Amino acid sequence: MKRAHAQLLALRSAALGRGSCLEHEIKGMLRELGLSVPRGRFLPRGQPLPETTGLDFPLVAKVAVPGLAGKSDVGGVRTDLRNHRDLARATGELSAIPGAVGVLVEEMVPAGVEVIVGGSRDPQFGPIVMFGLGGVLVELYRDVAFGLAPLTEEEALRLARQPKGARLLTGFRGRQPIDLPALTRVMVTVSELMATGLVEEIDLNPVTLSPAGAMVLDAKLRFRDMPVEAAHNPIKEERNMATWKCTTCGFTKEGRCKPQKCPQCQSKGNFEKAE
Amino acid sequence: MSPLDRLFAPRNIAIIGASPRADSLGGILLHNLAGFRGDIYPVTPAHREIGGLACYPKPAALPEGVDLAVILRPAADVPAIVAELRNRCRFAIVVSAGFAETGRGELQEELVQAGRDAGVRLLGPNCLGVFNPARRLDTFFLPADRMRRPRRGNVAVVSQSGAVLVSLLEALAKMGVGVSRAVNYGNAVDLDAPELYDYLAGDGETTVVLAYLESVGDGRRFIAAARRLAGRKPLLLLKAGKERSGQSAAFSHTGRLAGRYEVFSSILRQTGLREVGEFEELLDGAHALSMQRQVSGTRVCIITNAGGAGVLAVDACMRGGLEIPPLPRDVQEGLRLLFPPFYAVGNPLDLTGQVRDADYGKALVALGDHYDAFLVIALTGVAGVTLGLADILGRFKVETSKPLVAHVAQGKLAGKLETLLAKSGIPAFPTPERAARGIMLLLGGEG
Repeated sequence: MKRAHAQLLALRSAALGRGSCLEHEIKGMLRELGLSVPRGRFLPRGQPLPETTGLDFPLVAKVAVPGLAGKSDVGGVRTDLRNHRDLARATGELSAIPGAVGVLVEEMVPAGVEVIVGGSRDPQFGPIVMFGLGGVLVELYRDVAFGLAPLTEEEALRLARQPKGARLLTGFRGRQPIDLPALTRVMVTVSELMATGLVEEIDLNPVTLSPAGAMVLDAKLRFRDMPVEAAHNPIKEERNMATWKCTTCGFTKEGRCKPQKCPQCQSKGNFEKAE
Repeated sequence: MSPLDRLFAPRNIAIIGASPRADSLGGILLHNLAGFRGDIYPVTPAHREIGGLACYPKPAALPEGVDLAVILRPAADVPAIVAELRNRCRFAIVVSAGFAETGRGELQEELVQAGRDAGVRLLGPNCLGVFNPARRLDTFFLPADRMRRPRRGNVAVVSQSGAVLVSLLEALAKMGVGVSRAVNYGNAVDLDAPELYDYLAGDGETTVVLAYLESVGDGRRFIAAARRLAGRKPLLLLKAGKERSGQSAAFSHTGRLAGRYEVFSSILRQTGLREVGEFEELLDGAHALSMQRQVSGTRVCIITNAGGAGVLAVDACMRGGLEIPPLPRDVQEGLRLLFPPFYAVGNPLDLTGQVRDADYGKALVALGDHYDAFLVIALTGVAGVTLGLADILGRFKVETSKPLVAHVAQGKLAGKLETLLAKSGIPAFPTPERAARGIMLLLGGEG
């Protein structure tokens, strides 16, 4: 729990100025906390694509836009990149998405049982953990269960057995059972992050389960002192949202408040309201 | 002795806002407390005595050592009344409405502070108070001829809503189920569900608790108390407000799926607490658990004289996760020799419309050791089922600790037979599905 707290503080100091956390930052923290994430590399916008990324093809590329809730909704994900040319095209296209600050490139992970492990704060129970089947389709099936954070290993195991589809975990119709200890490790870690009191919401979704491990494929996190609008939607839909432009490098960002530091050129205090 | 004993079994009661008028709250209360085993102190400046009881002009004039005061005055006067009770009174039931529930949060805060300063524990406001038939304690402002009260028994009822409590108590009275304690805590500014659960956990007269809730303040404290109670005796929880209510503004799937009710229900299930789905299930639970003890098990035997009703009972048991295993081979062969060839010897065991009372007894004796619980269906429209069946089932019940419930609807004997069965400690339910639910509750599983 102490480690979760320290890691979160480090992540928060990086993210608060920007108003939201980027996927590779959250994944970096999860790796430090002992969870498995795909091998990957963050390529900041404006820097040339390196000759070699050190990663094995096929790769997946995902746009990094501060505050973007759903990357797929803006066409921000490219999968099954087979060679350097594919990668160059993908990173070029993704960098052109408004607000992009870079591209996260990762090795593709074989399919498995997709689940969600999340956390939020309940008005009656405080920090809670959610476990559900269906991964990205979780809101369709609504096959989820909730537990109180922090969870013990044993409580996590009980929570894992709650959803109707839990039989998928223990080897349904000839499939191999998944790695339950790896899953409970993810659940306990999320519960400890929630129990610090620093986090408002977290989604690890999907987490791919296999007979030998649990891999966090996507991660979102919002701190309690981060406004939901900032973490929510890059499209200007609220009256009091504005577009801010960096006078040094021309980087633009949507938000209620004037950003202090430019995530692109790192200069401070150079934002002006655009339009 | 529990600190709440004097709330549920006070030695004396002050009625603040007493009145001789039969149609006023104070008058109704005095009337309902006519049999109360203890002293009654009416408080009113308007009369010197009411019905032979000497009146006190104001709360400050009360003697010291009052266990319970019932306050029936307008909301705005209540904080000052509570302040006057300082050093005189342990518990005050604030019946008056017009606090936070009508948007008057600041008046409610004032009341809380007054209770704290005066050292008086408060129940309510906006509540009916307590009912304890063994003591003839009844603080409900509903006239006796308008609301039927249940007899004395072993079921406790705890309700956030007064109206739901009244409906539950009337239904229990009609079913003949007895009550140990009933309490409605309304806005719960002081005494709340967790504290009442802790009291009931230790209450020797209560063996099963029905609870109705709309909201829980501190969820973790609530769960902890509910678990302590459920560890001692069966607790059936009915939670109102089940609509989906995720935080649509949340940016995560988790935030959008974490509706208040979904979270509550999921956490109950994980902590092994039992949530019931509807009002009727509380009643069925009270019916079954007031007569028989909860045991663990999943294997149910169904003995019937009607094929269709037997199948409906099987379906309901299976839906609830119970098993209806076939008869052991040797028992099956034995029963085949014992019974006419047209009886369907299996599980369900169908004794057909040709059944005689004694056949139920023979079947139970043969099957008693092989199952965890027994569901007996005896539709009384056929000539072979008589009131004597109650004795036969009763004799089996005396010798076993296993659950046995009945469904004896249909026919002119049904009502009488149900009454006789109840005397033998066997609950009878009006439908096969509800009888199955009775079994599920007795087996401690999910209904």
